[in-house]
Amino acid sequence: MTELKESMQKAHARLKKRRAAEKRFKMFGVGALAFAFLCVLMLFTSIISNGYTGFKQSYIQLDFVMDETIIDPDGSRDPAKMRFSNYNALVKTALKTKFPDVTNRRDKRKLYGLISSSAGFDLRDMVLDDPSIIGTTQSVWVMASDEVDMLIKGVFDRTQPESTRPISNTEIAWVETLEKEERVESRFNTNFFTSGDSREPEQAGIQGALVGSALTMLVTLALSFPLGVMAAIYLEEFAPKNKFTYLVEVNINNLAAVPSIVFGLLGLAIFLNLFGMPRSAPVAGGMVLALMTLPTIIIAARAALKSIPPSIMEAAIGVGASKMQAVFHHQLPLALPGILTGTIIGMAQALGETAPLLMIGMVAFIADVPSTPFDPATVLPVQVYLWADSPERAFVEKTSAAIMVLLGFLITMNALAVLLRKKLERRW
Amino acid sequence: MKPMTKDNAVDIEKELNLSNGNVSKGVNSVKLSQDEVKIAARDVRVKYGEKEALFGINLDMPKGKVTSFIGPSGCGKSTFLRCLNRMNDTIDGCSVTGQIMVDDVDILSKQVDTVLLRAKIGMVFQKPNPFPKSIYDNVAYGPRLHGLATDKNALDEIVEISLEKVGLLKEVKDRLLEPGTGLSGGQQQRLCIARAIAVDPEILLMDEPCSALDPIATAKIEELIDELRGSYTIVIVTHSMQQAARVSQQTAFFHLGNLVEYGETEQIFTSPVDERTKGYITGRFG
Repeated sequence: MTELKESMQKAHARLKKRRAAEKRFKMFGVGALAFAFLCVLMLFTSIISNGYTGFKQSYIQLDFVMDETIIDPDGSRDPAKMRFSNYNALVKTALKTKFPDVTNRRDKRKLYGLISSSAGFDLRDMVLDDPSIIGTTQSVWVMASDEVDMLIKGVFDRTQPESTRPISNTEIAWVETLEKEERVESRFNTNFFTSGDSREPEQAGIQGALVGSALTMLVTLALSFPLGVMAAIYLEEFAPKNKFTYLVEVNINNLAAVPSIVFGLLGLAIFLNLFGMPRSAPVAGGMVLALMTLPTIIIAARAALKSIPPSIMEAAIGVGASKMQAVFHHQLPLALPGILTGTIIGMAQALGETAPLLMIGMVAFIADVPSTPFDPATVLPVQVYLWADSPERAFVEKTSAAIMVLLGFLITMNALAVLLRKKLERRW
Repeated sequence: MKPMTKDNAVDIEKELNLSNGNVSKGVNSVKLSQDEVKIAARDVRVKYGEKEALFGINLDMPKGKVTSFIGPSGCGKSTFLRCLNRMNDTIDGCSVTGQIMVDDVDILSKQVDTVLLRAKIGMVFQKPNPFPKSIYDNVAYGPRLHGLATDKNALDEIVEISLEKVGLLKEVKDRLLEPGTGLSGGQQQRLCIARAIAVDPEILLMDEPCSALDPIATAKIEELIDELRGSYTIVIVTHSMQQAARVSQQTAFFHLGNLVEYGETEQIFTSPVDERTKGYITGRFG
């Protein structure tokens, strides 16, 4: 009896320990989750606080005299000629009339620097649109230069000593004069979404990178989806199970873990050097990313095919379907939700990939928006990389803004994958 | 008779000399004339890799009647059934030798096209396995595959007749476009039978068609088998000896890859010749 009691006591003591261990484990789990959540929160706060101003742009209102002697000296109103007139002279005149005290050559250059160099193009477009404005005075909102923009957004501290500040006292005085006259305005930066890359931060936009990403993804999807699904079907259903197919299988699994830059080198050696495909083009980038995405899709598709109960295949074969018919009529449609989920995740991975694209020259500075997969282009993550590398302060917010757009796309794609799986999932 | 217990089961098997795989050829008391035979198996041997599953089966199955295979698990009755429409072809490493004559054609020969063969020899599986498609599409799948219907009306007719034959038409008439997986287990199995007979086969193979069903659904299927007899030659594998006794005219008892005894159902269940058959049907092992 006493023995039994003793053993019970021991069990009791152990029970306490077991409960404590369970509690500890739970706490580790909660702690890990909380830490991860905190990190994500910090990442997003940092990106958003840096980047939200990137979606805004300061504009300055000036009165431009549309001087006929400059725009159209011979009075022909010929657009082909007017296209090449010196519109910058109009901008300079407008600034000089606004601040007549500036005579010094160095100060004049600073004064012209208040306004983005795109102002001249804006005036040109206005004239070409409506030649009747020649000879009138137009009050136009033009983009401020990146430094003025930074000043207005409060990135540059006005109270700092002049020597440690990238913008001088005279420039600040001009901006303050303009601000007093309410000739300064912060607007939504549509330019960010409608133009390509630029050396001038205020003119730089992500449309080039967006279109480049879209074209690249299109090529990747068009190549990797059919190839991956076909390969998965063949390996899963038709290939004989022998040492060779086993080797292939092992290698596909290994390929999924190969560093992506290796695929970039492969693309450089084979697609560019051997096949002579265009450098920096989405078609080559898409092919490289397709190589990278293939193992993901094959593995996901095989898992999806494997999860379909064999009774469905047997039923189809039992009524006289050939193996291929059974697979394509029954197994593949049932496996499609799983395959699509894997594909979207693979595509999201490819969308965020930078390293392999550096190898095939998609890191070049490209100001034009590509219109075909054969035009030189860059993609969103590479654009982020390029801007993060630029010295101008204004590119910091552009970088964060571009990251926000990229993350937005990734989250949308992943949400789509979840939605698709929920919607198409079937029970039997 | 000794009651069956775990301990004496082994003794009985030893006593009856069951553990030895290469016992003599079984007893065959079914005498059929040449015209009556639909399926004739001669020395059918099946190997899964190195492991032998069937040791030379000789069996004649009569036209328009129900033949049932009984025997303990792993005795090879399902394996033999799957030989009859070459379903074993889909299993890796499975080899079938011997001869199975169906209407003077050896269906095991390489020249036979399995797709056409399976249209002629339909199969119903253990677990109801309707496609996750509509009831209509389930039945119409086979006819569409083999081009049996020239137009939509003909297809509708085939579907209707097939469902009528299995007694399902009345129950599902208004929901032909609803998924077949939404039916009850018994209805699903009847749908699978309808799917099999929609391609107008001559032979129906059934692999334990009622093992996943409740008694009422089982009774309906058995009734159906009885109705279908005559139009089709039916071969059924079953674990239930009562079912074999109820639905079949011939019964074959398999054990450890051998055909032990084959005879008229009544004779098998009332006066079995082989000791092993006697032992199995009286519940002493199995």
